[in-house]
Amino acid sequence: MSWIVTGMGAVASVGGSVGEIFESLVAGRSGLGPLLGYDREKFRAQVAYEIDDRPALGVDEPLRATRWLERAVGAAAADAGLGDDLSGVPVLVGTTLRELRSVELSWRDGVPFDAADLHFGTMLRRRFGAADTHTVANACSASLYALALGADLLDQGAADTVVVAGVDTITESTYGLLDRCYPEAPDRVRPFDRARRGMLQGEGAVAVVLRREADGPGPAPRTHARVRGVAVNCDAYHPSAPDAKSIAAAVQDAHRRAGVRPADIDLVMLHGTGTPLNDEAESTALGSVFAGLDVSPYMTAIKSMTGHTAGASGLHSLVAAVDVLRTGTVPPTVYLDDPVEAVAGFRLVRGTAERPEQALRLAQIDSFGFGGLNAVAVVERVEERVQESSGAGDE
Amino acid sequence: MSDVRTAAAAAEVVITGIGTAVRGLDGPGQLLEPLPDGHRDAADPVGRLSGRGLRYKDRATKLAMVAARDALRDASLTDESGGLTVPGESVGVSASTNYGNADTVCETVSTIAESTYLGTSPMMLPATSSNVVASWIAITHGLRGANLTLCNGPTSGLDAVNWARVLIRSGRVERMVVVGVEPDNPAVRQVAGVPALFDGAVALVVESSLSAGARGVRVLAGLGPYARRGRHADAVSSVRAVRPGPVGLWCVPEHPEGVRAPAAGLGAAAGSVPVHDLAAVHGSASGALGVLQCAAAAVWLSSRSGAVEEVVLASAGTGDAGGDDASAALLVTGGVR
Repeated sequence: MSWIVTGMGAVASVGGSVGEIFESLVAGRSGLGPLLGYDREKFRAQVAYEIDDRPALGVDEPLRATRWLERAVGAAAADAGLGDDLSGVPVLVGTTLRELRSVELSWRDGVPFDAADLHFGTMLRRRFGAADTHTVANACSASLYALALGADLLDQGAADTVVVAGVDTITESTYGLLDRCYPEAPDRVRPFDRARRGMLQGEGAVAVVLRREADGPGPAPRTHARVRGVAVNCDAYHPSAPDAKSIAAAVQDAHRRAGVRPADIDLVMLHGTGTPLNDEAESTALGSVFAGLDVSPYMTAIKSMTGHTAGASGLHSLVAAVDVLRTGTVPPTVYLDDPVEAVAGFRLVRGTAERPEQALRLAQIDSFGFGGLNAVAVVERVEERVQESSGAGDE
Repeated sequence: MSDVRTAAAAAEVVITGIGTAVRGLDGPGQLLEPLPDGHRDAADPVGRLSGRGLRYKDRATKLAMVAARDALRDASLTDESGGLTVPGESVGVSASTNYGNADTVCETVSTIAESTYLGTSPMMLPATSSNVVASWIAITHGLRGANLTLCNGPTSGLDAVNWARVLIRSGRVERMVVVGVEPDNPAVRQVAGVPALFDGAVALVVESSLSAGARGVRVLAGLGPYARRGRHADAVSSVRAVRPGPVGLWCVPEHPEGVRAPAAGLGAAAGSVPVHDLAAVHGSASGALGVLQCAAAAVWLSSRSGAVEEVVLASAGTGDAGGDDASAALLVTGGVR
């Protein structure tokens, strides 16, 4: 079974739409900026990859994540020809931190917040009429985990169309605790660079519309990409440190589900958070999976520009991968000036975007989270086919 | 998901183990009864955990660990020494909680306001992520299959049970530990805004009937059709369209007065279906309610003939009638063919 992506929508610090975000990534433009929402005197770290939409500097407000999710889902649904009515469509939302930033504001600062908005179904019902909605709090691999669930639902005939989304805002509790964890405050996200100091969070939302390939794109004017397989597993090892063997197993399972060999993969969208633990585990896992190849796939880590968008990050990478396959342009991993030894054999795109001569057909997307939650997807380019307007769009 | 079309035809998924961590309850057997006298003074179930590392685990995690351990043992998935009797890859976790980590998040921002980020403990970082409960259950027992956390409002527990079935049917895992947990603490009381909170956990082992048969374990109940809809009446009629016939027990949503779906909709004379209101007995159970209902249903079914014709309707979330975003319904059947 394979699935097709018929709609995409996204919001991040580097852009307010899928197109804007990809343009920024190709240009090597980062969303890093001075910390906007919190009292800077309380922290050593002073920067993050935030969406600049607060009422005033240092003044935070509730429900920002909900607002971005609404925008991303709306854009994806419109792109897929579904309009604003998702009453018969399951919507699966992957997230690390839900609306916990609103809980913080309510608890400490007395900002009114309704507990019904802690899960995203309340907004999705009000805005899109969607009742079969699921907030999946699967840490930083949540949106790719949700993609696996969406694919399973389609497989089992439980739906014909599924919206899979991801969203996260930064919470003050995670920002402060990460600040407490690192020996030095990170200045930026530098995946696989010797000067990396740790991870910095980013904000954003993303959504895709998924259908069984056999059914075609339905009301959508186009098919963006084919999803060949999504693997999920759990390290069952440590609450925050990753396990390279388990990551390698997830990658191999994704290849098996997709029916591809390591040599078939043209591009890897790395999880690449810029923490020593992730870098080591991911490079070890990929080193073993791609061992024996003359040249590795092209690789890049967009968190160097978006920051770690947590539960949204897996789908953010997937949506970027779709544009890479479509345009043939691979965004760089910025500020990767002095790569660690472990990635010496990897064909990492650094400095500026690259346009490989070979056509890029298959991309692997890595996404790993706290609790050892690993999700890996394989997507494939489809030839650009815009449907005739008299086609299924009239349904 | 509109699982109603497929659930009836699909390979059966059954409940083979139950565990509880509820103050005053010795086990699931008492889930059909009022709480015993003096339950408030009974021992804290978390006291049944021992070993290192408990200090930095939040209350929800500890409660869930107790319930999950008992459910795994009840289903013979662990032996006397606690070791898994099946490969770790074959077992996943599906957790449901809405307020599980609210305490960590709230205490941390208060600490930051008082004494900057330096006042926090890095050991608390994992618990800021809402999947911390499912993560510790997996680590404790070596469960390397799919690991899910549903934070899906009032329906979350029933949703988590259904997702466990989806993952079993897809072949990603052979069996899942499903756990519903909510803690009672000042942060939850403020966020939830209700006075009487459930403080506990309940866990189920669900697996394919094939797996249960191969392991030779007793089947407590079977999972019937599930639906999540905007209106409670629609959720109920969706599952009953797949599986008509009388309902023997109705586990009602929290705030059942918000639901205008009298027993007439359940294939019995109005008022004749016994109603079990677990939230009235145990307090507002939020994300734990659906799992509590399934455990109570399994207990009720095993007190009857256990025949597959016996049906319990579990429903959570009032939907439109009561102001919740949706309502979920799940039929739980006897496990004996």
